[in-house]
Amino acid sequence: MLSRTGVFTVLKRSTRLSGYALRPLSTRSCLRVEDQGTSRSRVTPRGGAPSGASSSTDPSDQSAFSGNTPPKSTTFEDADPKRKPLSRIAIGGTETKSQKATSGSIEFATWKAAALVLTLGGTLYYFFSKEKRRLEIEKEAEANRGYGKPLVGGPFKLVDFNGNEFTEKNLLGKFSIIYFGFSHCPDICPDELDKLSEWLDGLKKKGIELQPIFITCDPARDPPHVLKEYLSEFHPDLIGLTGEYNDIKNACKQYRVYFSTPPSLKPGQDYLVDHSIFFYLMDPEGQFIDALGRQYDAETGVAKIEEHVKAYVPREQREKRKEKWYSFLFN
Amino acid sequence: MGWFTKAKPIDDQSRPPSRSSRKQCWESRDIFFQCLDKISVVNALDPKNQDAIQKNCKAQENKYEQDCATSWIKYFKEKRVVDHKREKFMQEMESKNAQQIDLSGVVRR
Repeated sequence: MLSRTGVFTVLKRSTRLSGYALRPLSTRSCLRVEDQGTSRSRVTPRGGAPSGASSSTDPSDQSAFSGNTPPKSTTFEDADPKRKPLSRIAIGGTETKSQKATSGSIEFATWKAAALVLTLGGTLYYFFSKEKRRLEIEKEAEANRGYGKPLVGGPFKLVDFNGNEFTEKNLLGKFSIIYFGFSHCPDICPDELDKLSEWLDGLKKKGIELQPIFITCDPARDPPHVLKEYLSEFHPDLIGLTGEYNDIKNACKQYRVYFSTPPSLKPGQDYLVDHSIFFYLMDPEGQFIDALGRQYDAETGVAKIEEHVKAYVPREQREKRKEKWYSFLFN
Repeated sequence: MGWFTKAKPIDDQSRPPSRSSRKQCWESRDIFFQCLDKISVVNALDPKNQDAIQKNCKAQENKYEQDCATSWIKYFKEKRVVDHKREKFMQEMESKNAQQIDLSGVVRR
């Protein structure tokens, strides 16, 4: 107690002094004095040396107190060798023991909760991101179906390479992929047809069956038997379609396929046919889903088609869903 | 040689080219184009380059013209020019740090 009053008196005196020019210096020195004074006062009830306390009030004596300076600590150890350094002694006594008893159960609970949050969060994230992507693809397909008249695809009447009639009705009930080309095509058509074979095999492994259709843009040179011979070197599922020039022209128009045969051809003359090179993916209603260009390779094409096939929702379900209260989710 | 007089089997308009005949044509084409690379000729259709081709790549050109369908001969030569221009353009863009955009995954709305 004696020491505290001592500190206060010093404080008061120094603040009063600080009204003068030396303010920053004087406040700092008085704070230091206060620190040392209070730590000292803790010691006094334990029977420490009160003689030191009185000395602390004197700012001039600071050299002896700064930190744990050797001269200071040696005097304490000399007084009582069993005493631990002051900073380690808890003020309230043995509080640490009761804390230890509860810590075990808390750790267990947090571990369980963390695991639960992680698994639950991870699963939810996975499902939501997957569902989001599915809806995106479905929307894309819906947009391509168009409002009213389909943009791509429509009625056509051709003959397949076995001489049977083949119309747009043959597209119903299964996914189809349609490619336009001609048998005398130098490099792109055969490359693309080989890629198509890879797609078909890759999709079959995933349990997806497509009806692959090849429509010739060169009916003059590609009668059914030529198509049959040509396509026999590609995927066995391929169906070749040909027909009269005007029927082919109509089918190409339906699919927005451009093609041109050179004018004024002599019989037996070799020529090339310019044509668009897209794969047209059609849904089981015979409606256009997407056009796949050359940028899709063997893997990405399979992934894209798989996404479309999985996101496909039959017309009945789509119509039914429009009535539901949550229909806004699909618009 | 006789490749002007004798009809090539690949030119038979009543039959489609087979996989093996296509492969043979592509191989001969690649050999011929490698030769053109050596004499740094890009456009084989340009009359300016005819002398160099006749002098250095005559045999390869004959083989190429024998193995490929008549309509393909010109097509591949034209394609070589287009491909070369495209490659040059891509290199130029790359040197300007242009970024290539992949549009394959774009969702249309």
